[in-house]
Amino acid sequence: MGSPLALAPLLAVTAGALIALLFEAFLRKKDSEIPAALAVAALLAAGFFSVVSWNEPGLSSFGGRLVLDPLARLLVVIVIVLGLFVVLMSLKYAVRMGLALGPLCGLLLLAVAGVMIMVSTRDWLIVFLGLEVLSVASYALTGLRLHDQASSEAAAKYFLMGSFAAAFFVFGLALVFGTSGRLELGSAVTGASALAGLGLIVSALFFKIAVAPFHMWAPDVYEGAPTPVTVFLTIAPKAAGLAVLLRALSPLLRAESAAAVLSPALSVAAVLTMFAGNLAALRQTSLKRLLAYSSIAHSGYLLVAVVARDAASLVFYAAVYLFMNAGAFAVLIALSGRGLERASLDDIAGLGRRKPWLAAPLAVFLLSLAGFPPTAGFLAKFYVFGAAVREGHIALTIAAVLASLVSVAYYLKVIVAMYMREGETESEPWLEDPALYLVIFLCLFGVVELGLWPGNLLTLIRQAFPGPF
Amino acid sequence: MNALASALPLVSLITFLPLAGAILLVFLRGESLKAVRATALAVSLLTFVLSLLLFFGFDGSSGLPEFVERASWMGRGLDYHVGVDGLSLFLVLLAAFLTPLALLSSWRAIGDRVKEFSVFMLLLETGMIGVFVSLNLFLFYVFWEAMLIPMYFLIGIWGGPRRIYATMKFVLFTMFGSLLMLVGIFVLHAAYHQATGSYSLTIADLAGLSLSPSLQTWLFLGFGLAFAIKVPLFPLHTWLPDAHVEAPTAGSVLLAAVLLKMGAYGFLRLGLPLFPRAAASFAPALSVLAVIGIIYGGLMALVQKDMKSLVAYSSVSHMGLVMLALFSLNFEATEGAIYQMLNHGLSTGALFLCVGVLYERTHTRKIADYGGAAARMPIFAGIFLVVMLSSAGLPGLNGFAGEILCFFGIFAANKVLAALSVTTVILSAAYLLWLYRRVLHGPIRDPGDARLRELDKRELAYLVPIIVLIIFMGLFPGVFLRKMDASVSRYLDAIKTPSATSLGLITAPEQSQAAEIRPELER
Repeated sequence: MGSPLALAPLLAVTAGALIALLFEAFLRKKDSEIPAALAVAALLAAGFFSVVSWNEPGLSSFGGRLVLDPLARLLVVIVIVLGLFVVLMSLKYAVRMGLALGPLCGLLLLAVAGVMIMVSTRDWLIVFLGLEVLSVASYALTGLRLHDQASSEAAAKYFLMGSFAAAFFVFGLALVFGTSGRLELGSAVTGASALAGLGLIVSALFFKIAVAPFHMWAPDVYEGAPTPVTVFLTIAPKAAGLAVLLRALSPLLRAESAAAVLSPALSVAAVLTMFAGNLAALRQTSLKRLLAYSSIAHSGYLLVAVVARDAASLVFYAAVYLFMNAGAFAVLIALSGRGLERASLDDIAGLGRRKPWLAAPLAVFLLSLAGFPPTAGFLAKFYVFGAAVREGHIALTIAAVLASLVSVAYYLKVIVAMYMREGETESEPWLEDPALYLVIFLCLFGVVELGLWPGNLLTLIRQAFPGPF
Repeated sequence: MNALASALPLVSLITFLPLAGAILLVFLRGESLKAVRATALAVSLLTFVLSLLLFFGFDGSSGLPEFVERASWMGRGLDYHVGVDGLSLFLVLLAAFLTPLALLSSWRAIGDRVKEFSVFMLLLETGMIGVFVSLNLFLFYVFWEAMLIPMYFLIGIWGGPRRIYATMKFVLFTMFGSLLMLVGIFVLHAAYHQATGSYSLTIADLAGLSLSPSLQTWLFLGFGLAFAIKVPLFPLHTWLPDAHVEAPTAGSVLLAAVLLKMGAYGFLRLGLPLFPRAAASFAPALSVLAVIGIIYGGLMALVQKDMKSLVAYSSVSHMGLVMLALFSLNFEATEGAIYQMLNHGLSTGALFLCVGVLYERTHTRKIADYGGAAARMPIFAGIFLVVMLSSAGLPGLNGFAGEILCFFGIFAANKVLAALSVTTVILSAAYLLWLYRRVLHGPIRDPGDARLRELDKRELAYLVPIIVLIIFMGLFPGVFLRKMDASVSRYLDAIKTPSATSLGLITAPEQSQAAEIRPELER
């Protein structure tokens, strides 16, 4: 039968989503913040349910199809925190940009539910279910700014490409199921058609994670989507997709025969992703687009953890990435006065002088994304690359550190603009929003805390995944 | 004194006091420049006073790290582990000594964003000291990289016209090397786990590993590249003139005096002890590069038209000598190298300060713009002369004591290289004296419409301590060398008999009492 606690977080989020969406229909005042409060309540409830069951190993429901194991639990908590951040970021932003909070919060909760399903299953069909819940909600979220062409274009692009990916996924699944008759993640694949099927599934997931060469959609979508949604899209689908990849591939990577093909293929994909993201980011002048490409590069770093079969460093990286990436985008939102949403490097010139309390956090987030100690970004890379070396992937690690050297160049370019160039002194309207500043502060706290005193998180992760992490 | 010192976590205090000062400054309200400057100066002076406690409390007879503090940090060998031994003690002192002087030197030069400037200077001090006191490789790397950030801002915000280019080049060059070192750290971490089943990144533990020759070679290349870029060893020096010329005076001072030492210190602390076999096989090649650096740097310094880039190239030359001495792998040369690191820190730091003094008055660093400054600034001329002669190695001043030790050691190791390296004496005398003649002698020329003023009290306050120390270190090198002896011989033993001491190296401190007594050179 299974335990109700395993299902409780998912139920809380789904219920919240439905209520928020229904509520919208009956609400008179369109700019009410009630849906946001609902979403926060639902997320907190989900968080509560996943924390109370923390010490119970492997809660399951639906005959074991949904399992809250340590990996799932950690990622669920990460995505709940992400959801809270996104809601807090959107309060004033939604008003300013003319977004309806009801659909935003409802769809966001649905997307969170999709992620929860994806990370807590070992069944390919359920993965697909979660993936579609996540994807459909994401398409709608991307296009939420109804009167903005970029937003609509991004949604259309995301939808089209996403549908192809879904088709790949289903076709691959059919091949795998047809040849092996099994649907568990990580079951052995034998034969050419099963391998081809697995390849199709993996490329569909690569699409979701934005791994090269399936990343072409990502910069446009990330740039076009409303910024809080971008935050969600750059973190949640990646975490979910990588968790699935990890579950599916790490047993195969352990076996000699499959590893001979898979390991180089994944390594090449990771290296391509890191360099594609970083090299393209070098040439960007729009801050949002730069962060979009940077997010592609980070998919590559995360993929290194999958190659190294190291769940611990993957989770740690995801947690750190949540704080530094959400923080950087949150500052971007704070900068988005009228039309500054796509702030260029020229727009933020001299920001260090005009708005020191926004520029300094952004500088910290960028340094963390670049991997400078003592920020958390360094530690995250340290663990992921360390795991890769431990598993013998030296060449991959060298490529990864060189890629992050490239990334240093463009992250510092932003800091150069903020601190080392003078900008026009006219003051643009800033988005004064306590909730947003709270998010920036929490992210800053996370980046510093996890860089200097990560003990608590490390203990949790080490309890979850005994090993050399 | 010792009781006090042992009661306090002295090394941590010295390391993090500047950081605390920086945080204090960030939250300091009010726009009073005076308050900001005074706070920063007070914090750095207090740090220096504490570092003096370290100096007087340091025993040095065992050759082992003293004032050791150890705490578990992130587990799996990533510990907080600090302390000082004879190799690092004086570099800590150097950083603590020069930071307040550099701050004092920028009171007039830096008028814009003073608070940020002071914050970054203090952060830089924490980073520099942290590198020297780390006994854990992870901690070392954290400080090594973290220190780039304040320097990046110092050059990028308060630098000259090409500051952005210079600062990006500085960061990217340095990071290129250190990222490869990072991969090496992972390999060492994994290798230690494989060999012993436990986790450690303590440097002394890692030195006890017996690594295969090929692995040693690769690791040495990774680590060596990081350090060679930082030194900088020819041909990796191209970032240095740019960074030096564009940096503000205080930045140049610390860059030349302390940051360059990190490269040499890296070889001393990590490159040679961790990979002795590989180091021995690469020593000839690196020595040749060092000699090329000595001569090339000297020749380049001769033809520079900008005072700062002249001093920058002289650094390349002088650090070449330090590296050559380090790779000679004998006692005299190693002590000479460490002593010469301090000397170079003082004299090059002082040279940059002197250039800063002139620049503040005239806003030009072109040698051709100057002439006869000695007539206007006689005291300055005297100080400049002492600094210059110290840099050129005049007997009686600190530079001589260090150079002669280096040359003795190098000569014992390789006579040809020794003969070639002695050219540094001629070259440095040539470019420095020529600089002196062109700037301070000859017909009086006031660059632009600025009139050269004599040094004021503040300027004397930061130049005189260095002069005093230059003379003191020249007359009484024994005071300093004595504290290094045991550590240096211990270090050489570990290199000469690789992995013989194995893991016993750290577990058996009583072995260290066997510190041998060697010929007492000119002491």
